[in-house]
Amino acid sequence: MNPLKKLIKWAQRKSPWIIHFNAGACNGCDIEVVDALTPRFDLERFGVLQKGSPRHADVLVCTGAVTMQTADRLKNIYDQMAEPKFVVAVGTCACSGGVFGDCYCVKGGIDAVIPVSAYIPGCAARPEAIIDGVVKLLSTLEDKKLQPKNPIVINSEKELADMLDEAEAAEENTETENFEENKAKEDNENA
Amino acid sequence: MEFFQMLVFPGLIFLSVYSFALEYFDRIVYARLQNRQGPPWYQPIADFFKLLGKEVIVPASVSKLWFKLLPVFAYAANLAAFLYIPLTSANSLYPFSGDLIVVLYLLTIPTLCFFLAGYISEGVYSGLGAVRALTQLFAYEVPLFMALLAPAILADSWSFAGISAYYSAHPIMMLVNIPAFIIAIIAAQGKLERTPFDAPEAETEIVAGAFTEYSGKLLALFRFTVDAELVVVASLLAAVFLPFYASNFIISFILYLLKTVFIVFILAVFKGLMARLRIEQIVAFCWKWLIGIGLLQIVLNVIIKGAF
Repeated sequence: MNPLKKLIKWAQRKSPWIIHFNAGACNGCDIEVVDALTPRFDLERFGVLQKGSPRHADVLVCTGAVTMQTADRLKNIYDQMAEPKFVVAVGTCACSGGVFGDCYCVKGGIDAVIPVSAYIPGCAARPEAIIDGVVKLLSTLEDKKLQPKNPIVINSEKELADMLDEAEAAEENTETENFEENKAKEDNENA
Repeated sequence: MEFFQMLVFPGLIFLSVYSFALEYFDRIVYARLQNRQGPPWYQPIADFFKLLGKEVIVPASVSKLWFKLLPVFAYAANLAAFLYIPLTSANSLYPFSGDLIVVLYLLTIPTLCFFLAGYISEGVYSGLGAVRALTQLFAYEVPLFMALLAPAILADSWSFAGISAYYSAHPIMMLVNIPAFIIAIIAAQGKLERTPFDAPEAETEIVAGAFTEYSGKLLALFRFTVDAELVVVASLLAAVFLPFYASNFIISFILYLLKTVFIVFILAVFKGLMARLRIEQIVAFCWKWLIGIGLLQIVLNVIIKGAF
């Protein structure tokens, strides 16, 4: 493989630009996706940028079950994206249709319309899980083939639970630390 | 030797490397202002090469030739302007009297290319972005020219070498041009289409403005042009407002880096602290305030030139 191609493959893993599409979600997962893009989680660390135009984006982040109304639009947006492109289904409804799966107006999960590379279940999926899913998707892209062999599923509930516990523990620690610091400061000021 | 200079320093390769470096610096300052960690140092390079590897989609109803040529024109105009700006000594690669004017006009070409690119894309969003880019051109161009020509009027020369010679002899006269420098910084923000003047590519309203239909290599070249424009404009401001050079090449080069990084830092802080203006607010602001102060600056410079 020549060096330029290697460089491009490396760049594809380091610079995923995402576009967010709501295929009929209740807005819970959308808020979590937007949350994942805030300075608190700082997705630009991994090179993730949110793009408005499907022509610019590499990863289509879909939320919600696909309704009859959005099916054509979803297909359209997917077709407008330039190769190589990936689809990430965020939330239980996007993965399988969820509680809306049997509705008369619902076609099912995102994979009923377009191929999906990574499934991130959860109702709603946590921002940590979304970031984990996108990073895992990128790290499994091998040099030879850009589409992963099997779709990635961020489903090991234990893993997710551990991750959340760690995050919460870390949060509590920082909070208590800050509290103690503030208290020490106040004491100094009073003295 | 000349070919080597055009290709390596101060030419194509230096411009490319430095534009990646300044884009990284710009993004990291922006991220720090938002209390974020920011991207890793290789991010602009990764973005560029990723876009090179992507499929190029040309809309069916668009002229293929022009769709593909416009990014090349935009980049070539930037590179040509860069070759006429002095970096490490008072003389650029090809100095002549009037090179300041030529650089200013060469810098207009990328904006016209952005307009044409949006206009021929035949999309609603790209059309809107194109019209806004052209409207904005009429807003910032006059104050930018006024601000950059005011120091030249005081120095009585339309060339970078003449400006440098005058201000090296009378360094105190630099202080007269401080209002012009402020106008130039604000107008440069408009020229580079950055917040608060990013209405032409406002991603929350009109997707990506003139570049909406561009993908792959062509988008990479357009992004590269925008980065290169940042370097060219920063070098231009440094050459006009801070025209001091050391006799040693290395020291002079470090001085050039410091000057441009300082200017980009100001631009990045502006970008981080401001919200977007609407297009008619941009036009009103530029014509009401910037041109007024610019006229006063020119009158002041003419009077000072007559008095001394």
